[in-house]
Formats: sequence, structure tokens, C-alpha cells
Amino acid sequence: MILGITDPIRFAIDISAFFSIYLMLSISLNLEYGYTGISNFGKVLFFAGGAFTAGALATRTIMNLYSSQIGNYGPYCTANVIYATEASKILANNPTLAITMFVGLLILGGIIGGVLGYLASYPAIRLKESYLGITLLASGELLRIIARNYDPLICGSLGVSVPDIFAWLPVGVKEVVQVGVMLAIAFITWYFVEKLVRSPFGRLIRAIRDNEVAAEAFGKNVVKIRMQVLVIGSAIAGMAGVLYAFYTKSIHADDFMPLKTFIVWVMVILGGAGNNVGAALGALIYVLTERLIMQYKYMISAPFDVNYLSYIIFGIVLILILLYRPQGILPEKPSKTISFEKVIKKIKQE
Amino acid sequence: MNVTLLIDAIIFGNLLVLLSIGLTLTYITLKIPNFAHGDFATIGIYVAYYFLVFHKISPYITLPIAFLVSGTIALLSYLLVFRPLNNRGISIVGLMVASIAIEVALRSTLHIYADSLTNVYKVISRGFIFRDFGIRISRTMYIPGLLIVSTALTFTLIITLYILLTKTKFGIAMRAAIENPDLAEVLGVDVNKVYAVSWFLAGGLAGLAGALVPFRMPANPEIGWMLLLRVFSSSILGGLSSIYGAMLGGYIVGFAEVIGIQVLSNPPFNLSTAYRPAIPFAILIATLLLMPEGLASKIKLEKIAAKIRGVKKQ
Repeated sequence: MILGITDPIRFAIDISAFFSIYLMLSISLNLEYGYTGISNFGKVLFFAGGAFTAGALATRTIMNLYSSQIGNYGPYCTANVIYATEASKILANNPTLAITMFVGLLILGGIIGGVLGYLASYPAIRLKESYLGITLLASGELLRIIARNYDPLICGSLGVSVPDIFAWLPVGVKEVVQVGVMLAIAFITWYFVEKLVRSPFGRLIRAIRDNEVAAEAFGKNVVKIRMQVLVIGSAIAGMAGVLYAFYTKSIHADDFMPLKTFIVWVMVILGGAGNNVGAALGALIYVLTERLIMQYKYMISAPFDVNYLSYIIFGIVLILILLYRPQGILPEKPSKTISFEKVIKKIKQE
Repeated sequence: MNVTLLIDAIIFGNLLVLLSIGLTLTYITLKIPNFAHGDFATIGIYVAYYFLVFHKISPYITLPIAFLVSGTIALLSYLLVFRPLNNRGISIVGLMVASIAIEVALRSTLHIYADSLTNVYKVISRGFIFRDFGIRISRTMYIPGLLIVSTALTFTLIITLYILLTKTKFGIAMRAAIENPDLAEVLGVDVNKVYAVSWFLAGGLAGLAGALVPFRMPANPEIGWMLLLRVFSSSILGGLSSIYGAMLGGYIVGFAEVIGIQVLSNPPFNLSTAYRPAIPFAILIATLLLMPEGLASKIKLEKIAAKIRGVKKQ
């Protein structure tokens, strides 16, 4: 036991898992807001889109493929915990199926996220930032309300269990492998976004952020590019949602409150908008704070839920950053260029 | 048409009008949709509830206190957060993020207050409703007190606001400051003061609407946030920068939602009433796709005023 943490390995795994999920969310918001200036107040919509994809399809796919091996426990929704356990047993003997399903759902979650990004932003992408922000926020709430009331999706307010996709590995190893895979996907995403913003496309989106009219005057289709950025960002958030579903193994509509969006904004603005290292740092700071609060909140005796206190603190911190350090902890840096010496050398060679 | 349904629709419309006017008042100052607007209404609810529980005073009597408290919180949020941010030249998106931060902080504070009420004073703090008085006209006709109070309040406030904006010196200065802040400042209008008054009024109106909400639906700290979607929908339908448009939008969304869900939850549709928020959402999307400038751009101001008078007669 270290500092009252009963299982430090478990704690580290938990922190790494949530860090990789939040890293993907913050990096996608950084691409949208930090580099392009899009007011995406509906991040949770795309995250939920991915999570609902995995939640709705994982168990049902296995049930359809192996209907003979799974007994009848009654209607899917009321017995979905049992069905998910049965599905985990099948996955335990079938690594190929598990890996195929994991990759397949990850891609599908990304596609669903991207499609949702296109649909939700379509009515307002041509309008002012405030309209887009309102529309995306409202769309996120609508998806949550539908998910809570429309049983065929994720069993309404009951929630749905997700089978253990890494059940084919021995206990003790599988958690480490799962988190390793999640971290790897998160860092690949990070690398992809980093490459993207350093490419000519990255210069273009920054031009749109800094001066939309000027970018338009140079013949750039601002609306189309904003849409492309939003679709890419939403696809990343959708994949993060799939990873979240497979990690928590249970999906409830009410886990996807607009508060999640706010948290991602805190990460990006705290770490530094327009700096991918900053977005990663923001995600890390948030995850550590949140997990430590969860760990120690039982030690604080207050006549209310301590989580609310942490939200108030996050709100105040966000406002203070906007007031006194709007560039965040790590401010945006000018584009990396080849060093002066290298350029001179190259010229001399020629 | 069913009389009870009509009464429901009018009351809901009244509440939305009060809220949308407030949202529009803050929108026209800084050009940001204030996401914390719903929470100003929730503050009004808990102010009314405090006086009802601890002092046994009817929420109708404590309406001015709800107005003052919510107005003061809105004013403080402008003076302490939005004005300094605006003076530092932060972007519109930055201001919107700040308003979400205020929203989360206020809502969490209200949750803490509600938790403390339950745990310390052993008082129900979520899901309570206010008991209303009413007049029974016939066996099927029952006029709830809220219908009279909310309608009277809404129209008194609309007329007061109209007189304030068009007949008083301060109101004209206010419109000038909203229309063109720089020019108004050159002519000696204190733009900061005008904006501060706008925020105070906006918060106050939200507080009034909030204090009336528990007469109709069970209150909890989240209810203001849930109402916000409807408020955005009616304000955008009204054009987001026109006070008269907001009034019209509020009634349209209120009527569409109450009557729409009644129609949709019965055969042949049989939808769950839980899908109620989808109606204002559909109005929002339709407005953005068909006429993003809102109704105010389509109809002349005088015509809107005439239409509002038409609604009043019902």
C-alpha cells in the first residue's frame, strides 16, 4: 500500500487508460479549436457515438455469430450482462475473432464519429462560431436523450455491458496489454495530428483561424476545410469512445453529459491551445487530479458530493487561465523549420 | 382545442419568453450565447424555495428577491469575468468557454447547496414542486394562478422594457451602445454601465422565470441547464439579436413543444414523452438551415409588435 492506494499497479493502469482516452479527445479538440478555431462544444456527441457503436454491436455480433453456443436468457436488454459474459467466454477461446472485432469496431467507431461530425455541423458550419457551438452542444444532448429512451441502441436507461475483448489473454497480462494498446493508439493519433498540423494543410487551417477573410481571398474553401477538420476530429473522438467502451465494459447514456465536453476544453486551454504537447499535458494534469480526487474523496467529510467541489475548482481555474494566461501552460510555438545552418550547408553543396 | 393544454402552452411560452429576452439582452452586448443563462433561472428557483421552506413565504411574494439575487449574480459574472476578458480582447470562442465555465461552477454550487439542504436541514432539495392557487370556473375549466401571474408578469415586463428602451434617455443610450459601442462612447454614453445593466436585467428576468418553474415541473439543480436548449432555440428562431424576435420565438417554441409532444405521444405516433427536447432541437435546426438570421430578419419590427399583441389577446 502506497499513500493509501491499495493496488498501485491497478491504479497506474487506470490512470494510463483514462489518460489515453482523454489524450485522444484533447488532441482532437486541439486540432479543431487550437489550430482551426472551431467552437466544438459537442465533443461528447462524437465520443458517445463511438462508445454507443461498441456498446450496441459488440455483444450482439457475437450472439449472431455463435447463437448455438449462447443459451437463451430472455430478452437482450434485461439479460445483457449475462450475454456479455457469455460473449467474453467465446472471445476467450477465439483471439482472432477478438482482434478482428476490436479493429473492426475501432474503425467503425471512427467512421460513425466522422459521419456524426458531418451531420451535426452541417446546419451551422457556415454561420458564426456561436451558432455552431450551440448546435453541436444541443446535438450532443439530443443523442444522449435518444440513447436513454430508445432501447434497441444501448438498452435505454439500463445501460449495456460490453464483452471483455482481451479475454483470450491470462488475467494480469490482459490489463497491461489492453492499456498498452490504448496508449499506442493514442500516441499514433497524437503523431498523426502533429504531422497534420505541420503539413501545408496545417498552415492552411492556422491561416483560417487567424484570418478567415484573408484565407478566403486566397481562394481557399473555408467552409469545406472547417468541415474536414471537424470530421477528422470527430473520427478521433469516436475511436476514443470505442476504447472507452472496451475499457469500462459498460456503457450508460448518462455517462455522456455535456460536462465531458467541458472537461476536454479545460485540458486544451490549461495545457495550451495550438500546442499538441500542451494538450497532452492538460490531459495528464486532469486525469491525475481526477483520479486522486476519486482516491481520496472518502477522506474528506462534507455534507455534499466532493465531485461538485472539483467542478467548481475546474471552472474557476479555467476562467483564471483565460484571464491571466490565455495561451495556456505551453503556448503555441512557431512552425518548426530546418535550422539555418542546414539551409546554408544545402546551398553550399549546390 | 383542449383548454388545459392551451393553458400549459401559454405558461410554458411565458417562461420561455422571459428567459429568451434575457438571453438576447446578454447576446447583444458581447455577441456570445451565455451558456450560464439557465443557471440564473435555477438560482431563482432555490431563492424562492429557501423563502418558502425556511420563512413560509409564497414564491409569488418573493419574486422581487429572486429577481435581485439572480440579477446580482449575472451582474457579477459580467463584471468579474466577461468584462475583463472582453477588455483583454479574447476571442468569441474564449468568451463562450468562460460562460460554460461559469455554468459548470454555478450548477455545481447549486448541487452543493441542494446536498447541504438535504443532509444538514433534512429538507427535500430535488424534485420538489410549489403548490399553486387556482380558480375553478366550471367542472372542466380550471384556471391555475400561475397562468394569471406569469402572463401578467410577462406582459408587464415586455411593456416596461419597451418603454425603457424607446421612451427613456437611458434606454435610447442603451440601444445606441448596443448598435454601435464605439460611436456611442464618443457621444458620451457609458457603454460599460449600459452593458452592466443589460446583464443585471437578463439575470433578473431569468430569476423570475426560474422562481415560477417549480409550479409546473419538479425542480432540481439541472433544470436550468435543461431549459437552456429551449431558450437557445427560441432566441435563435427570433434572430438572437432582437428582443421582440425573442418574445415571438419564445411563444412559438413553447406552443410547439407543449402541443407537439401531446400530438406525438398519442396515436398514430405513440412516441415517449421523453423525446420532448427533440422538438425545440428540430426548430433550432430548421431555423439554422432555412433562415439563420431568424424571424426578426423576415418580419418588420412593427409587425412583430402587432403579432405579440395578437398572442396577448388569447
